[in-house]
Amino acid sequence: MELLDPTVRGPEQQHKRAAPLTSLEGSTIGLLSNGKSNADLLIRKTAEKLIARYGGKHLEVVYKNHASVPAARELLTNLSHECDFLITAAGD
Amino acid sequence: MTEQRIHEVPDDPLDAIEYCYEQGWTDGLPVIPPERTRVEAMLAMEGRPPETIIAAHEATGLELSLHAAAANAVMAGCLPEYFPVIVAAFEAMQKTPFTFHGSTASTGGSAPLLIVSGPVVDDIGMNAGVNLFGPGNRANATIGRAVRLIILNVFRMTPGIADKSTQGNPGKYTFCIAERADANPWPALNEELGYGPDISCVVTFAGAGFNNVENHGANSAEAILTSMADSMANLGCITFGQSVVVLSPEHVRIIANQGWSKPDVQTFLYEHAYREIQTVQAVGKYQRHQHAEQGLEEVHRGYGPEDILVTVGGGDAGGHSSFIPSWSRGRASIMQHQAIGVCIDC
Repeated sequence: MELLDPTVRGPEQQHKRAAPLTSLEGSTIGLLSNGKSNADLLIRKTAEKLIARYGGKHLEVVYKNHASVPAARELLTNLSHECDFLITAAGD
Repeated sequence: MTEQRIHEVPDDPLDAIEYCYEQGWTDGLPVIPPERTRVEAMLAMEGRPPETIIAAHEATGLELSLHAAAANAVMAGCLPEYFPVIVAAFEAMQKTPFTFHGSTASTGGSAPLLIVSGPVVDDIGMNAGVNLFGPGNRANATIGRAVRLIILNVFRMTPGIADKSTQGNPGKYTFCIAERADANPWPALNEELGYGPDISCVVTFAGAGFNNVENHGANSAEAILTSMADSMANLGCITFGQSVVVLSPEHVRIIANQGWSKPDVQTFLYEHAYREIQTVQAVGKYQRHQHAEQGLEEVHRGYGPEDILVTVGGGDAGGHSSFIPSWSRGRASIMQHQAIGVCIDC
């Protein structure tokens, strides 16, 4: 009996890790909220602790359109130009 | 990604079923092995090439071809004439506002509810009557099951891995009903949605679960719908999301005999399905931003009467209607609809 496979192969993944930061001193930190209730609080507090230790600053929090959808490519591209690293969180 | 991969298995059907289990292709129940001739018979119901992509998950890049849909429809136990309903359902869920990936991955545990309306209901023998959401009808059971098998096998929403449902819901096995035309005093959904009487459609709704709304003593529209509105506004259910309301023949007869139209019902439900802001705040569910968009003093279910889909179904006897809330704490998914058997590309 010949069975036809009901699954599909996934796409070739082109993702690769960014090079690790050599230092956090004086960094600009991007903040991306998934939009859930406590995400803002979590990422702000985390950024403040990092700034207290390493200096630098954080950007204003930006939001995904919804927690259950991917962040817009344009939003991520813009953030990548504005910050040295990004903190994101699912805060419920 | 859409090439046909073939598995040679022993001719014994029971062995083939076990093979499907071993491959991880099932929902936990036995499946019909996706044998070539059966898959081809399913595909013969479509005018487009088997490699045609009808849906995709943006987050993973996984795509649903007609071929994969057909193989899973066979496994679910579908007859070929059911296939256009499955295709239309995925074309509907593919529309951005449905949030197809998120709704299948979320802790919320929603299941896509399919509501079929129009002549296809009788053409393929769907159940719109007694035991509407229950077992016993091949079309309802297997169309809904095919949706789940596709979500599992094509989109890899494996429970505990990509599907993070906290508790799930029984509709994740199958969740497909038909609108009952002979008991519906109002325009059918396919006409209401602009398809005309000869074109059937399927509405897809990311449903969070099933709520029975019992009222055997009510003899007025207001009494029946007050019961319904109270269910819709209970603190476990109330969000700004959409709703599906399925009125039983007994209930809808009383409502329509009083001269109420469907918009009257939607308006009544919207106006009465609400909670005070302080009450919603007290249980930690208040969402200021969405409430501001709603623009009312209280917290109502949805943004307006049009957020409440009203249909008719179930057996002749019994004061049992139902309410299905939308998935998510807000408006993460908006219900979509699609014509059945009407090629959108040709």
